[in-house]
Amino acid sequence: MAAPFDTPELGNVEERRIPALKVGAMAESKPYVAAAAHQEPLGFPGVLEEGWEKKAIGHMGELLSKYRSLQVFMDICVKCGACTDKCHYFLGTADPKNMPVARQDLFRSVYRRYFTPMGKIAPNLVGARDLTKDVLDEWYNYFHQCSQCRRCSVFCPYGIDTAEISMAARDIMDSIGQGQKYCNEIIGKVHKIGNNLGLPAPALLDTLEGLEEDMEAETGVAVKLPIDVHGAEVLLVTPSADFFAEPHILGLMGYAKVFHAAGVSWTLSTLASEAGNFGMFIGNYEQMRKISLRIREAALQLGVKRIIFGECGHAWRVAYSFLNTLAGPWDFLDPRYPVPQHILEFTNDLISRKGIKLDKSGNDGMVLTVHDSCNVARGARMGDTPGGQFTIPRAVIQASVPKFVDMHPDTICEKTFCCGGGGGLLTDELIELRVKGSAPRMEALKDVVEREGVTHMAAMCAICKAQFTKILPYFGHDREMVVSVHQLVSNAIILGDND
Amino acid sequence: MAYTTNGASIEADEEGFLININDWNEDLAGQIAKDEGIALTPEHWEVVNFLREYYAEYQIAPAVRVLTKAIAKKMGPDKGNNKYLYELFPYGPGKQACKIAGLPKPTGCV
Amino acid sequence: MTIFFAILFMVATLVMVVGLGLKIAQYARTPAPLKIPTTPAPLTKPGVAFRLGREALMFESLFKGNKPLWLFAMIFHLGLAVVLIRHVRYFETSVGPLVALVQPLAQPAGLAMVAGLLLLLARRVVIERIRYITGKSDILMLVLLIAIGASGMAMKCLVHTDIVAVKAFFTGLMGFELRPLPTDPLLAVHLLLVAALMIIFPFSKLLHAPGLFFSPTRNQTDTPREHRHLCDWAAKLEEKRS
Repeated sequence: MAAPFDTPELGNVEERRIPALKVGAMAESKPYVAAAAHQEPLGFPGVLEEGWEKKAIGHMGELLSKYRSLQVFMDICVKCGACTDKCHYFLGTADPKNMPVARQDLFRSVYRRYFTPMGKIAPNLVGARDLTKDVLDEWYNYFHQCSQCRRCSVFCPYGIDTAEISMAARDIMDSIGQGQKYCNEIIGKVHKIGNNLGLPAPALLDTLEGLEEDMEAETGVAVKLPIDVHGAEVLLVTPSADFFAEPHILGLMGYAKVFHAAGVSWTLSTLASEAGNFGMFIGNYEQMRKISLRIREAALQLGVKRIIFGECGHAWRVAYSFLNTLAGPWDFLDPRYPVPQHILEFTNDLISRKGIKLDKSGNDGMVLTVHDSCNVARGARMGDTPGGQFTIPRAVIQASVPKFVDMHPDTICEKTFCCGGGGGLLTDELIELRVKGSAPRMEALKDVVEREGVTHMAAMCAICKAQFTKILPYFGHDREMVVSVHQLVSNAIILGDND
Repeated sequence: MAYTTNGASIEADEEGFLININDWNEDLAGQIAKDEGIALTPEHWEVVNFLREYYAEYQIAPAVRVLTKAIAKKMGPDKGNNKYLYELFPYGPGKQACKIAGLPKPTGCV
Repeated sequence: MTIFFAILFMVATLVMVVGLGLKIAQYARTPAPLKIPTTPAPLTKPGVAFRLGREALMFESLFKGNKPLWLFAMIFHLGLAVVLIRHVRYFETSVGPLVALVQPLAQPAGLAMVAGLLLLLARRVVIERIRYITGKSDILMLVLLIAIGASGMAMKCLVHTDIVAVKAFFTGLMGFELRPLPTDPLLAVHLLLVAALMIIFPFSKLLHAPGLFFSPTRNQTDTPREHRHLCDWAAKLEEKRS
């Protein structure tokens, strides 16, 4: 259990307070190291072995030759510091190594030493370091204090994205036997059982059956949660948390009601019972690809025509930006629809052409704001035009609730803050980091609660939902303040009469 | 880490979840709960027993919703909600109750 | 001294051109396996060109991130740009229209460049966060540029040098012909530092200039669903699949 810590005091969102540096404040924060049992099934060495330094540098060289992003980002940072006050973990912890440029420099200093003439000739002058065990430990701790949210890259004059560097660092650490338990255990479960949760098919079927009963009891309409149905039009791939946690599960029922009301046949899949792809968190292309191919296989097996993803942030980045690369081409699907689609694109389209009807009174008394998920905002898109990832969720929420207000403009859309638990950090031993990292978002939330009477915050990502459920009470809010976007749709949708 | 009950040392992971679910017994549950700052009451046992039954059938802990429904059935509708479960297990019914029941920790975005 | 500088500038030019050429070739050759534009991103290639243009000329992202820094950087880079254009007159026999245009701006631009650099240096010392991330080489780079600017301004405004002879030296050098360089200490310092800058260019953070155009978060179109993006090494993994 983590040591006690103080919940950060929230300031005024308008002031954009930047903390004074607290050197080493989070030096001890680190997630559990993966055991051999979590490493080996993914093809990684079980433990750190003799000669790891050389192996790590070899792997770094390989990544530099395979990823233009990494090679270019290593060279071009001028240390201007535009990113220094942009990371939620820095703002929340004041640890200077959580400033993006300082985090990158943990990696860059080693790159310089082994891959640049200046670093070989004059390491002191350019801040080049040998890769020692101390440096590796520092990597482990601080590259697990980055949620790969890409906020720093928005403000970097060269677009340097610390996420790319964190991913590379984690991949190097995996390759020498210093992996992270949380991510690697979960990836192992995906390969073995089919989803992050480790939810076996019989348990999934039982859960869905229970939810169907609930929906029928509540609405009087037999809304179904079909699974492994051959020949369905749509394959819905959603994070397994949607089958398990609150408020995720309320969103799942929302998707089901939308499909029901629209009269579109759909199915879940036991094979592809996970939208999330933790292969991205650990920066491993092959893992990411292997996880993605399950979706291809499920789509082929079930003979579906379209693939739609449920609410999940990093999943949507992998799905939108990478799925075509990793598991395409999708020429066997209906070419009239983008592959994949987001459930919010689907629902928004139905709302705008009156394919479903919503009654806002279903959410009476609620005042909503929305948390833009980092990887949806800056790593993906929805709809046909840039920025659709901001307008579409808002359109769906506004159609479902009586009152909606946005949080401070510096904290939404492309400038949104991470919830504090993204990128493979949603694990209990990092709770201090998660609470402190959520402070910038909590500050903006507090502002609209006080000024506009906001009662609920909608989220469109399984991690955001779980993270907020956990950390909202630290800031004096009810944990049920966070809701799924499709939970709001679920409360407002008119079922039954379909014409 | 490890627990010691009745003279036997029982292996657990870094967070105190049992490595081997078969190591579990009622005394051990009491001790895990004590470490978590919880004194087990009959209400806690209702939850723990349900979790173990569910796990025996499905090899996973039930969704929170499934748990609340089962508790409502057993203990009355006023107890079948998240708030009540959080009162019993302040660190979250999912994780804390699973730990006491000797089940593995639910993983993923939960 | 003439021979020394002649050799120095030939070496410096060679190092800079070849070094930069190799770096640019490396960036161009290294594959980008995934679509990673920072979104919202343009959907078309002209859109990307426009985005890069805004970044290169207006420092768009920096403007979003830090207004004072944007201003300091603008002052420096604009000053530098004018000064560089102005220096073309030392390399061409007849003065071109652009050079003539910026001629009257030379002095204010030089001042702006040095002032911008001093401001950039000051923030490295004054602001705690920036001090923390600043390394020796970051300070040295600024000092080098300031020294180049200051020595140049000194020649322009205080101790004039024989610029006709300087021009003769460089135009001669371009035809591999040796013409005498004035033996002026200030000029020697200025030229020495410039040569040093040229030599370290391909090995330093000055690579941000060409690098920006290879930054995948800025130079990719946002079309992953429309077009399958597949790099060579990823395509090889596919062969194993089928």
